[in-house]
Amino acid sequence: MDHIDMQQLKSGEVNLGTSIMAVQFDGGVVIGADSRTTTGSYIANRVTDKLTHVHDRVYCCRSGSAADTQAVADVVHLHLQMYTQTAGAPPSVHAAAAIFQKFCYENKDALSAGIIVAGWDKEVGPSVYNIPLGGGLFRQPWAIGGSGSTYVYGYCDATYQEGWGRDETVNFVKNTLALAMSRDGSSGGVIRMCVITEDGVERLFVPGDKLPKFWEGREVLGAGKTIPIDSGAVPMAVEA
Amino acid sequence: MPDMVPMSVAQPQERQFNPYSDNGGTILAVAGANFSVIAGDTRQSEGYSIQTRYAPKVFRLTDKAVLAVNGFAADGNMFVKKVKQRLEWYRHAHSKDMPLRAVARLIQSMLYARRFFPYYVYNILGGIEEDGSGAVYSFDPVGSYEREACRAAGAASSLVQPFLDNQIYFKNQTPAPGTSHPAHLALTDVLALVIDSFTSATERHIEVGDGLEMYVVLAKGSPLQGLELVQGVQEMSTTTDGERVFIVRRNLKRD
Amino acid sequence: MASSSVYSSPGFDFSNQLRNNFLSEKGLPLPKATSTGTTIVGCLFEDGIVLGADTRATEGPIVADKNCEKIHYISESIRCCGAGTAADTEFTTALISSNIELHALHTGRKPRVVTAMTMLKQMLFQYQGHIGAALVLGGVDATGPNLFTIHPHGSTDKLPYVTMGSGSLAAMAVFESSWRPNMSRDEALTLVKHAISAGIFNDLGSGSNVDACIITATHTEMLRNVEMPNQRVEKEKKYGFRRGTTAWKRETVKSLIVEEEITHVLGEAMDTT
Repeated sequence: MDHIDMQQLKSGEVNLGTSIMAVQFDGGVVIGADSRTTTGSYIANRVTDKLTHVHDRVYCCRSGSAADTQAVADVVHLHLQMYTQTAGAPPSVHAAAAIFQKFCYENKDALSAGIIVAGWDKEVGPSVYNIPLGGGLFRQPWAIGGSGSTYVYGYCDATYQEGWGRDETVNFVKNTLALAMSRDGSSGGVIRMCVITEDGVERLFVPGDKLPKFWEGREVLGAGKTIPIDSGAVPMAVEA
Repeated sequence: MPDMVPMSVAQPQERQFNPYSDNGGTILAVAGANFSVIAGDTRQSEGYSIQTRYAPKVFRLTDKAVLAVNGFAADGNMFVKKVKQRLEWYRHAHSKDMPLRAVARLIQSMLYARRFFPYYVYNILGGIEEDGSGAVYSFDPVGSYEREACRAAGAASSLVQPFLDNQIYFKNQTPAPGTSHPAHLALTDVLALVIDSFTSATERHIEVGDGLEMYVVLAKGSPLQGLELVQGVQEMSTTTDGERVFIVRRNLKRD
Repeated sequence: MASSSVYSSPGFDFSNQLRNNFLSEKGLPLPKATSTGTTIVGCLFEDGIVLGADTRATEGPIVADKNCEKIHYISESIRCCGAGTAADTEFTTALISSNIELHALHTGRKPRVVTAMTMLKQMLFQYQGHIGAALVLGGVDATGPNLFTIHPHGSTDKLPYVTMGSGSLAAMAVFESSWRPNMSRDEALTLVKHAISAGIFNDLGSGSNVDACIITATHTEMLRNVEMPNQRVEKEKKYGFRRGTTAWKRETVKSLIVEEEITHVLGEAMDTT
């Protein structure tokens, strides 16, 4: 294997087969992610937090190998603390993203990490940077990532508009992730979101049974018929 | 960008369907002077999972022949089914049960017929020969067989067979001066050895456990030799005037 | 390349790697390491953490140890359950335990669970999964009760109830159906016993007894073999061998007692009574 391949993780490696997203709006950015972590077909963690703090107003969304992305996020976190001490001021989102890129690019042979960096800074306000597998660095108004993202590029292209406010952006992220999670088997669980503005970071949480619903198809068996409650059918006894 | 090779041309990958699996467990048989004991545990597993805690591996073929099968359970069950069918045809053609040595030769033919797509099973056939002696025949998956006094097969065979060699053939045991080892053991001694073999295999082999089924075949007109005192013994034979088949069940550890 | 010095450099010794690669190319496989095809669990309760483990160690399908200890000591109020390669879990936890003790001496504070977790994940990540240690780390520190899982590649999860090892699915089924927030000590211990038992009876890689460890802010209680549902049965026969059973070809008798003659030159011998 001389090239980077998401499907070829080291055997037994914990995978964030993920749906992640970040969108900027006038006052800040909204980032979001599903909560599923898998080892093969087993869900090792169903309430994972893939929205990782690296500085006061800079967060990252992690996809790919859990070990690799945690290690990279930890070391970037360390660099940003050092930076803050030496510079006497918080880093720009671009500075944080550039440090992520440095590690992802220089260790591209050893890492499977797809990271989205997003946040707010004094110089440019809100911004979103995408760092895909090979270690590129791209500023985008919105970015999606992880295995689930392939299902929702069309939806994002068709739906996104400039000039949205906070609430519209939150809804866009929530809907996009719900669609990605419903089609991608490696994504699922709950939706975690963060709204990052000058004033602070607000965490939002959508439980797995409160996800926005879209077309789910019609029931094929017994279509149009509802079983009356007093049908005499007794639910199967389940041992407590 | 030489690194950006499309995934589809990255590397050739060879994949093959594997029709076999290993379902664990262990079987064993011992021949006495006028009896034969055939035993097997009842756990059926695949990998680290238990498929069932009760899947018999030992089957009564006739009143004088008992067959134990171990390896790939699907093949084992199908093989027993086909052997039973051939024995029924024999009964209809000849109005008697097939002799044990003939059953052994039949099993060889049936196994070798599948030389290039074998039944993935080790067979051990136990019973009474026409001369009234206890007999054990053991087979490899493609039909090589021989008559022996005792044989263990399956997952824990490498644990059990050396124990049997020591306790039944008295290997590595020099007899006390002026004495010699007995050629045949008593039925109660054999049953004790079989039970101890399986409790020991259960302790040290993860694929052995749950239950133990021991079949005892007695020669025509033979006394019960203490079998009547064994707890939970059940008779399986169709008549009491020919060879007789009994079954003894025991629990094994379930971890 | 054997160095003449009796001192060796710290860390792993790779001097046999060339030879071993050559040997495995020739078709001689490396010896199999003892693995703890295991069930290990941990769960949060109202005032602490309960850790649990089975006690079977395996080498392939053979049971290598029927009653091994899988709950390792990190510090007085931090313990770590290990699954995977037995040597790796033992050595890794021992090393981190040692470093945690030094860290505590250096800072003059009680060690924190996150500190141990970070040390473990950084070490395992450095070795890129070649150290096959899958761990459940739990304890109580200044920040309260903490519970983590650490995978061999160095990823970590922080959850209120966790399982690892080959029996993790069986144990997690128990947790997912019965775990509640703020359980009492006894309820949590019972739940952990059930989870480990599910692994012992349904996973072939796990077996024998249940070990548990209850950690609270004030006290750590190691419950070795709290449940022993798989006692060995008595054998039907006694297997003693008559003296003279083993054949021999040659007999040599050697005296191992060193005899020496002592001559007292200067008067009386010293009183040594």
